[in-house]
Amino acid sequence: MLVTEILSSLLLIAGAIFFLAGTVGLLRFPDVYTRLHALTKADNVGLGLVVAGLVLQAESWTVAGKLLLIWLLVLLASASIAHLVAKAARKKGIELWK
Amino acid sequence: MYTNDQKQHLQFAPGHSVIITLRTGLIRAVLFTLIWWILTDGAMNSWLVGVPVVLFATLVSVQLLPPFSWSLIGIIRFVPFFLWRSLYAGVDVARRAFDPSLPISPQMYHYRWRLPPGLPQVFMANTVSLLPGTLSAELGDEFLYVHVLDKTGAFASELMILEEYVADLFGLKLITDRSEE
Repeated sequence: MLVTEILSSLLLIAGAIFFLAGTVGLLRFPDVYTRLHALTKADNVGLGLVVAGLVLQAESWTVAGKLLLIWLLVLLASASIAHLVAKAARKKGIELWK
Repeated sequence: MYTNDQKQHLQFAPGHSVIITLRTGLIRAVLFTLIWWILTDGAMNSWLVGVPVVLFATLVSVQLLPPFSWSLIGIIRFVPFFLWRSLYAGVDVARRAFDPSLPISPQMYHYRWRLPPGLPQVFMANTVSLLPGTLSAELGDEFLYVHVLDKTGAFASELMILEEYVADLFGLKLITDRSEE
C-alpha cells in the first residue's frame, strides 16, 4: 500500500514538472511553431504521468478506465489542434524564427 | 499514384463488404459497450439507456468511418514505440525549454509521403506532433510539412521509422520506389 502511494506521488510530481516545462516553453520559445512543440509534447507527458499516478490510487477498474479515456481524448485533441494552429499560421504567412 | 494492391487494401472487394461491415460493427459495438461500462461505473440499471446508445453509436460510426484495414500485430508493435518516443519527446522539449541557452534551430521540412491518403496519413500527421522535435504543420498531397525544432537532429530517419510503424498498423506495405510511376 505504502509503495503504491509513494510511486503515485512521484508520478504526480513528475507530471507537474512536465506541465511546468510546457509553460516555460510557451513563454520562452520565440514563435508560434516552437511554442506548439512545447505545449503538445510536454503536456502530453505531464498528463500521462498524472493519469498514471492517479490510476495507482483508483478504487475500481472503471475509474482507471475513465482516466485512461481522458488521456486518450486529450492526446487526440492536442495533436489535432496543434496541427490546425500550425496550419493556420502557415496560411497567414507567419515566418519561422531562425 | 498507388498500386491496385493498396487500393484493395483500403476499400476491400465488394463481395466481402457485408461480412466486413458486420465484423467491424461487432468490434466497434464491443468497444462502445466497454466505454459505456466505464462511464457508468457498470451500473446495472444504466443499460436500459446504454444498449440503445451503443447500437446507435455503432450505426453512426460505421456510416461516418467505413471499415478500414488494420492489423493487431501492428497495433501491438505501435503502442510501446509510441509511448516510449512520446515520453522521450516530452523530456527533450522540457530540457530545451529549461536550458538557459535555448538550444533550438527550427526548420520546415518537406516529408514525401509513402503512405496512401486518408486515415493513414491523418493518423501519421497527428502522431508526428507528439514525437520528438517534430510538429505537423500541413498535410499536402505529396508532402507532409513538418516543423522541426532542431534541424541538427535525426528527425528524417525518425519520420521514416514512424511511417513504417503506421503502415504496419493499417496492414499496408509502403511504396519504396516511386520513380518508375
